[in-house]
Amino acid sequence: MSRFQRVKSLIFGVFLILFAVALFTSPTEGYPVIAAVVSALVFIYGFRLLIYYFRMARHMVGGKSTLCQAIIILDLALFTTSMVSMGGVVIIIYLLGIYAFTGVVDILRAFEARNLKASNWKLKLATGLISVLFAVSLVVVGVVNGNLQIIVYGYCAVLLYSAIVKIVTAFKRTAIVYIQ
Amino acid sequence: MNSDFHYYATYCAAQLAGYSHDECLAIAYCDCFTDMCSKTLLSKLNAPAAAATTQLHLEMVDMRTDIIGLQDITRIWSSFHFLPYDLYAEPPKRCSKKYKNKYRLICNPNGELLKETVCLAKDKSPQAVGLAMHVLADTWAHRYFAGTPSLVINNTNRYFYELIPSENGYTEKKITFRHSTTTPDDPDNSIYTASLFSNSEKSIMNLGHGRAGHLPDYSFIRYKYLPAWGNYEEILKDNPSDYHYAFYQMVYAMKFLRGAYDSFETDTYDTEVDENIQKEVERIINTRQLNSDNDWKALGEKLSGCEIEPFDVEKYQWEYAEADKNSKDDTFLGKFILAALAQKSMVTNKIYSSGSRLAGYSIDYGDKGFKGIRAFKSLVREEEV
Repeated sequence: MSRFQRVKSLIFGVFLILFAVALFTSPTEGYPVIAAVVSALVFIYGFRLLIYYFRMARHMVGGKSTLCQAIIILDLALFTTSMVSMGGVVIIIYLLGIYAFTGVVDILRAFEARNLKASNWKLKLATGLISVLFAVSLVVVGVVNGNLQIIVYGYCAVLLYSAIVKIVTAFKRTAIVYIQ
Repeated sequence: MNSDFHYYATYCAAQLAGYSHDECLAIAYCDCFTDMCSKTLLSKLNAPAAAATTQLHLEMVDMRTDIIGLQDITRIWSSFHFLPYDLYAEPPKRCSKKYKNKYRLICNPNGELLKETVCLAKDKSPQAVGLAMHVLADTWAHRYFAGTPSLVINNTNRYFYELIPSENGYTEKKITFRHSTTTPDDPDNSIYTASLFSNSEKSIMNLGHGRAGHLPDYSFIRYKYLPAWGNYEEILKDNPSDYHYAFYQMVYAMKFLRGAYDSFETDTYDTEVDENIQKEVERIINTRQLNSDNDWKALGEKLSGCEIEPFDVEKYQWEYAEADKNSKDDTFLGKFILAALAQKSMVTNKIYSSGSRLAGYSIDYGDKGFKGIRAFKSLVREEEV
């Protein structure tokens, strides 16, 4: 990891914390903000795909499909932007769905580790179960009871976790020693 | 390649190179163990995670594909399973540096790094020899793929045809891929399991030969396809021929490691093997079966006159786990771990020196002292001894 990548990771982590704190302090405005962030992310994704096509995928067999995808995603980003003012529970459920999936992967990893008699399987299982339960309970409390504020708080917690991971990554050791 | 080649065939090659039965077993064990030594297994033994030579399927799914994660993946797969052929290769068309760095990681046999790998095992333990033989054999089986997640290099499309020997030469049969990891491959109907298509450049679905399933791991199969990097030029993968060269290059390399030759030259194979043994090797390689364990085992036992015990992943774990901290490096697995760290260190350094950061950073101990991942300190200690 280069110094620039470390600094980038650190700044992004700090930005995520600030964003999470801002959302936490004013959750009533938070919901459309999240939707706006999601649409902005889709935009960024579309542009990145476009850049990816010109830098990499144009050399690939069947690479033109990447160009088509980029155009479709940019179109989708425009559509998502138009939905921000209306609000969209679906977007939140989608985000939580992704979070729950990472929990399921943790659980499967825990079973694999247990089969290999590795010592860390209980911790893995616990984190996996907590992730899944966290996502499911947020959907139940937030969507079923109509309390969307709790979903914003939950989203803040996920953002904080991502921020911490980014900051930890920025300080991780990467160099490898070569002896001639 | 599967355990049939990495364990039993390596045992046979070691016999032909002149090693004793016990040495052959140790070499074959470490060749096969290279496919088992994951971070999960090492954590069970309280061994350094940096010595991992493979990743379990779910370890990869669980792994973050951020820069640190990708470098970790690349270090493991490029060092042990997809040794790059030419780190200074120029793609046929003008392209970005990012594309070039990935293109340069494409694995092929007889590269400069193979020579470095074999020479690294010279005058070292049988564990180091076994690990080097794994890397050597995989350069043949895994050629045309890269040991880093990359859609633009490792992807394939639907154009996949098996060439089945027939009376008039070869018959073409369309290969069908499915994505069920629990269902065994069906060579009779040319139905094989492959990884799912993912349009993400960094997805682990696009690591190595995942998109071509286990086809590179079967010695009997010949097929043609369009690799993502190949500019629409068809590639014919002739596994029986590649496995033939892999086997006789292993014999030659191990003869070099035993001191029969002064230097190791690439594109050189041992041709002094008895004709009947050569015929048997060809028969096994060409037999249409998913697992050739029994055939290679029988040949190995015929060569040595000793029984070859089946591979047992737990065989040396207790010894390592029970050894005290200062004598762990002297155990069977301790020596394997040192060999793995040395190989990973060497390949990472070569990739880094070529200007690519895909495998992370490498620091020359002589110039800058020790920095970075602590597990590599054991290499420094070994050097000092």
